[in-house]
Formats: sequence, structure tokens, C-alpha cells
Amino acid sequence: MLSTIIKKELLSNIFSFRFLVTFVLLLVIVTITVFILTDNYVKKLDEYSQRQREIENYLGDYAHFNRINNVVRPSQPPVPFYSLIRGLSSDSNIEKFDNDPLPVIFPLIDFTFIVTILLSLVALLFSYDSICGEKEDGTLKLMLSNRLSRSKIILGKIIGGTLTLLIPFLLSLIIGLLVILLNPRVLWKGADWGAFGLILLGSILYFTFFYCLGIFISSRHHSSSSSIMTSLFVWVFFILIIPNLSPYIASFLAQTPSRIKIDREVAMITDVERDELGRKLSGERRIEMYRNYPVLAEKLSQAEIKRRVAQDPDYRKAYKELRDAIGQAWDEANRIQGGKVDVLEKELHRKQEAQERLAIWISMISPLSDFTYLATDLSSTGIRSRSHFGRIAEGWWRAFGAYTMKKLASLREENPTADWWNTPVDVSDMPRFQYQQEALKDRFGGTIRFFVVLIIFNLIFFTAAYFSFIRYDVR
Amino acid sequence: MIGTVARKEIISNLVSYKFFIVILLTSVLIFTSFFIMHRDYKQRLSDYHIIKPKPNEPIAVIPPNPLSMFANGLEDAMTRSFEVSLIGIETRAGQASGNIIFSFFTSPDFLYIVRVVLSLVALLFGFDQISREKEQGTLRLMLANSIPRSKMLAGKWIGNFLSLSIPFLLVTLLGFALLNLDSDIYFSPGNLVRFVIMLAVTLIYIALFLSLGIFISTLTKKAAASIVILLFIWALFVFVIPNLGTLLARQMVDVPSVRALSEKKEQIWTREVLLRIMDGREGKETGVSRFQAIHNEMDKLEEDYRNKFNRLIGLSKNINRISPVASFIYAVTDIAGTGIGEEGHFKTEIIRYKNRAFLDIVSDKTEYSPFNYQYRSLSQILAKGTMFDIAWLVFFNIFFFALSYFSFVKYDVR
Repeated sequence: MLSTIIKKELLSNIFSFRFLVTFVLLLVIVTITVFILTDNYVKKLDEYSQRQREIENYLGDYAHFNRINNVVRPSQPPVPFYSLIRGLSSDSNIEKFDNDPLPVIFPLIDFTFIVTILLSLVALLFSYDSICGEKEDGTLKLMLSNRLSRSKIILGKIIGGTLTLLIPFLLSLIIGLLVILLNPRVLWKGADWGAFGLILLGSILYFTFFYCLGIFISSRHHSSSSSIMTSLFVWVFFILIIPNLSPYIASFLAQTPSRIKIDREVAMITDVERDELGRKLSGERRIEMYRNYPVLAEKLSQAEIKRRVAQDPDYRKAYKELRDAIGQAWDEANRIQGGKVDVLEKELHRKQEAQERLAIWISMISPLSDFTYLATDLSSTGIRSRSHFGRIAEGWWRAFGAYTMKKLASLREENPTADWWNTPVDVSDMPRFQYQQEALKDRFGGTIRFFVVLIIFNLIFFTAAYFSFIRYDVR
Repeated sequence: MIGTVARKEIISNLVSYKFFIVILLTSVLIFTSFFIMHRDYKQRLSDYHIIKPKPNEPIAVIPPNPLSMFANGLEDAMTRSFEVSLIGIETRAGQASGNIIFSFFTSPDFLYIVRVVLSLVALLFGFDQISREKEQGTLRLMLANSIPRSKMLAGKWIGNFLSLSIPFLLVTLLGFALLNLDSDIYFSPGNLVRFVIMLAVTLIYIALFLSLGIFISTLTKKAAASIVILLFIWALFVFVIPNLGTLLARQMVDVPSVRALSEKKEQIWTREVLLRIMDGREGKETGVSRFQAIHNEMDKLEEDYRNKFNRLIGLSKNINRISPVASFIYAVTDIAGTGIGEEGHFKTEIIRYKNRAFLDIVSDKTEYSPFNYQYRSLSQILAKGTMFDIAWLVFFNIFFFALSYFSFVKYDVR
């Protein structure tokens, strides 16, 4: 009996006008979006390798350790998922002078958008009249005059409805995937397909939530024209309002100190104050060394010093010790100032993270945010992948720091009189930054809570729809 | 005759469930938005007082713009702190950049509420104007009297527009009045004029979606069919076209990414420092000329980038204007002084200030001239495309209304 209802739902949906419109629209939008995103991904790939080449060229010609950190700064390569999901990649680079204003005003459209906005709208459009519409037509009375339980009807309606709507969604997605697969530059690996499967599961959960919600609203109303009003009203709140309010509410509840002020303080501590402290400490060391090695106190020209270092081994030893002592003094200054900066930045970071966490929890009331976080995290384009990139970069900085120290020591051995920081060096053996996406298992682990929330939402509204329909006045 | 039809529309709207829901939604959203953006503005204002540059600092920061409460636009980018030094401009971003969730979702300002929700509401007022009356059979009855179809359509349009816009205006003005109760908030007369123009553009925008709704309603025989079509057109106009258009324009104009540009600048800087040291340590005079040379090279790079980027903005504007929603965004943000045009102007001014301050720094002055920013005047804004955007919105209005007239004249009312 259940299958009859499902079949009836399927057929009546498929031959409806709205099914046709949905189908055409999804097909067109998905194809165009994936096409443009893929094209853009390829362009991003080219630009990324071009940038890497320029860095290599620079290092080949002008590598030296003063300010090299600003040049070799690692950056995240485009991930293959960019041809489907963009997440936070459309970065406006607000910390740079030439920030990009366009993504702020016109956020990108991707698969997440298609699911969260279009698919939820479609789900409500198909379900808003599935109970009250049949009542208006008088077919609900007829159906129930047969020996058919209400629970079977509601179950059949939900199953049949979701099945029909999955057809246009999946078909348009297949076309989109074809566009991706046919492009030789886009290479999806096993983990990408696994992530895609999980995202697909998430989108189906998201979709059934809205379908159940629509049926619930439909069974609370007796005319379809008021049902669509309520549905759209609820939709606007869930989709367009709650997520957008959440970061603001969080910023009022968990306040952070002024970033610009702390930024300036940090710059002051590491720049002017560090130089003062360094000069003071190295001056003290210098006087101390002059006492131990009176030969050093003599005022000599650079050329004379070089000559003496080359000829006189005692002088060479004394000179080397002086420079080592001064180097240590500067290291000490850096360490002290670095400690101060650490305290400031840790405090700011802690408060910011608390605010961000609060914003996420608030926005999780809306299934749109749940799905957005889930899809972006799984596709390595979200919040998780940012911190993952940060971790890899941190490891690389440590390796690079050790490499710098080693290189500087060998420069010091070679020539104690040289300005080691500003001597051209060969850095072809430096550690290279390698980006690896986070393992799928870890990504999934982080998104379980979003899956759970979506499932709970589903259960709540399924039960609500069920009980409302059981008590529905069909006359 | 038109008056009678309009009155009938208003009265039937007033008692409907739709009207109740819509008014509830609009008032809740507008008050929430004003409340949230007001608190946000106050927070930014108090932050500004902390970071405001002292007279002897070569730093450019402008106070937050009160109109950004209604159209946030690029406000976050414009209220950053720009610090000039020998190296160039150091940029520091404010609070919103510290919380990643801000970049996931658009800010819920007045512009957003109107753009997304009010347009939907206007469609809901228009979608069943003709088809519903046909389904109920009242259309036949009405036309059995001696009333021309054009008058009936005009009456319907006016009636619905009034029953939509009057409550909306009342709510907005009430919210605006409440904002003025706060003594920290000050709207200059110029800003008041701008706010009034923003409201006028908003009304044109709402009218446009009402006309579109009525037009689709005259094409269909059933209200259910027209709501489906309308919701899809709405999604296309509001979300899909403007956002895909920008990406499409990006594919057509070759602009280096922000990262690429800043990496290149960093390379020039470190290279020049090395070369300068290898040339032997120079006296102050040649040091200055070296800095000047670096600056000139950077400026050339910057100018090249800005030219390309302006081409991209021009192209994306023209593509996006296929959707009237993009025109609406351009018009409102530019009038509020938080739009793309204003931001470009602002950056030019910052660069000019940097050049001046740079000269002050190399000539060892201890007092730097302060940064004063003048927002573009209304006439400048209108001349730079905003007039066109408004005219384009009006055109869409007339176009959809004319279409609905033609199709209604031929409509089968039986």
C-alpha cells in the first residue's frame, strides 16, 4: 500500500509544471556554475605555479637572509574541490592594501549555494501544498475513505516527494561532475570522492529536513495560499536571517580588544623597542668584551679589521667572540620582545577564538550554516582547513628557521667580518613547503556534530509532521 | 475608477493573512537589523576613538560612516588603519577580520533586508493578482462592469504598492527616529538627504518586483504556477546573476591576484635592500634616492594593478546589470558612501596621502600633515554611474509594467 502512495506522489510530481521548471533551472545553473568555477580553478592553478616560479627566480638571484621570511612565505595552493565548492577561498585579503572589494559585495556562487538556497526553496515549493492542497482538491477525503492508515500516507508522501526531487538534483550534479571529469587539469583523488559522497549525504539530509518542514507547515494549514506564506516566512528566518545575525550577536556577547591597537603595539614592540633594547644590550656586551680583549677597543677601519682577521689568529678569535656576543645580545633582545608579543597575541587570539566558537554555535540553529560548515570543512575550503594550513605552515617555519640558523653558522665560519644577514647565499637546498590536505578521516571527525544536528532537525520535523497529520481535519 | 480598484485592493490586503505575515516579517527584520547594526556601529565608533592617530603620526584612519548602518558595503575595508612609513603603506584591519564567520555570511543591514526579503515580499503581493482573481471568478465579474483593463491593472498596481510601501516606510522611519534618540549617532544634513534618496531608490526597487509579480501573474492561469516561476526568477536576479557575473568578468579580464601583487612588492623591496648594501653603505643622500626609486617602481606596479582592476570592475558592473538587483546594490552603496566607487576614490586619496607623507618622512619632518577625507559629493556620485543605475531600475519598472499591460489585455478571463 505504501508503494502505491509513493508511486502516486512520484508520478503526480514528475508531470507537474514546477518539476519541469526546477529541472531546467537546476540543470542550467549547476552546469554554468561548475563550468565557470572549473575554468577559474585552472586559472588559479596557473597563477599559483607562476607565483612559485617567480619566488624561485628571486631566490636564485637575490637570496639573502635579511627579510627572506617575507619572500618565502608559504601560500595555500588551490585544491581540486574548488571547481565545486569555494568556501573561504574567495578571500578578499583585507589585511593587504589592495584588498579585493568584489567578493565582499558579491559572494561567489558554488555548490553550497545551490544546495542551501535553491534546493531548500525547491523542497518547500513541492511540499507546502502536499497536505492542504489535497484537502482543497478534495482528494484527501477520498484517499482516507479507503482502508489506508494516515501514517502510511504521510510516510509515502515524504518518501515519494524526496525521491522525485532527488532526480533533478542528482542528474544536474552528474552533468556538473562530467564537466569536472572531462577537464584534464582537474584531478580528483580517492579522498576527494569520499568527501564528495559525504557532502552529498549532507545535502540529502538538508533537503529532507526542508521537505519535512514543508509538510509539517502544510498540515498545520487549511489553505495552500496561507501555507506558502508561512513556509516562506520560516525559510527567510532559517536561511537568510539567523546565519547572518550570528557573528554580530557573538561579537556583542564575547567582545575582543581592538585588533588595530594590539597590532600597532606589536609592531612597536618588535621594531623600535626591540632596536633600543638590542642596542643597549649589545653596548653592554661590547664594553665587557673590550675589557677582556683590549685589542678590540682600538678604532680601526673596515679594511684594516679584515686584514688583521686574516693575518692575526689571536685577533681573529677575539673578533669572532665579540661578534658572537653581540649576536647573542640581539637574540636576547628578540627573545624578550617576542615574549611580550606572545602574551599580547595569545590573549587576543584566545578571545577571538571564543567569539568565533560562539558565532558557530549560534549559527548552528540554522541548517544552512550546518550544511555550509559541513561542506566547506569536508572539501578543505573551510575553517578547519585554515587552521590545518596554519599548522603545516608552522611546521615548515620551524624547519626553515633551523635551516636559516645552520646556514648563518656556516657563513659565520667562512668569514667572521662579513654582514651575514645581507650576504647573497645559495638557498637551493632549503626546505620546500609541501601542502597536503587534511586526512579525510579527521575532516569527517570534525563535521560529525553538523551531521548530528541535521539528523536531529530531521527527526524533530518528521515527528512534528507525523503528529500534525494524524490529527489533521481532512473535511 | 482607478481609485476604487486601488481602495478595494488595499482593503482586501489589510484583512488578509498574507498582509499580516508580511508586516510582521518586515517590522521584525527592519528593527532587528537597525538594532544590530546600531550596536555594531557604536562598537566601531569606540574602537575608532582608541586607534585615532595623534597629530604627529603619519596614519590615515577615517571615522565609521553612520550610513554604513544601512548599507555596510565596503565599510570594513575603508575604516582600516593605513600607516605610512619608508616601506610604504602598512594596513591593519579591524574587528570583523578577526572572526572568520563574518566572511561566510553577508551583513544583515537594511540593504540586505530590502534586497533579499522585501523583493520576495513584493513578489508575494504581485504573484496572484490576476490568476487568483480568475480562479475565484471575481475577474469576470469585475470586467463585466464598464472598466477598461488598463485602469484595472493600474488600480491594482497602485493599491498593492501603497499597501506594501506605506507600512514599510512607517516601520523604517520609526526605526530611523529611534536611532536618532542615541546622542552618539549624528546624521549630518547631507547624510539625511542621502538617506532619503536611498529610501526613494528602495521604493523603486520594491515597485519593480511588484510589477514583475503582476506580469508573471498575467502569464499564468494558476497562482501556484506563477509563484514557482517567480521564486526562480527571484533567485536568479538576487543571487545567481550578480555573483556569477562577477566571476565571469574575472575570467575575461586578466588581473593578478592580491597575493601575487603583494609578493611581487615584497620581492622588489628585499632585492633593492640587498643591492643597496652590496653597493657599499651609502650616505643619507643616496639612501633617500634609493628609497625614491623603490617607491617609483612600487607605484608603477600599483598603478598598473589599479588600471586592470578598474577594467574588471567596469566589466563586472556591466555584466551584473543584467539583473536589476545589482544596479540596486551599486546605487544604494554608492549613495551611502560605502560602495565600490567610493572605495576606489578613497584608495586614490590614500595613495596621494602616502606620497605626501613619504616626502615629509625623507625630509626628516617630525610633524606630518593629517589625512582628511572628503566623501564624494552627491552630484559626483550620481554622475559616476549611479544616475544610470537608478534610471535602469526605473526602466525595468516601466518595462515589466508595460509587459503586464500587454499580456493582461489579451488575458482570457473566463
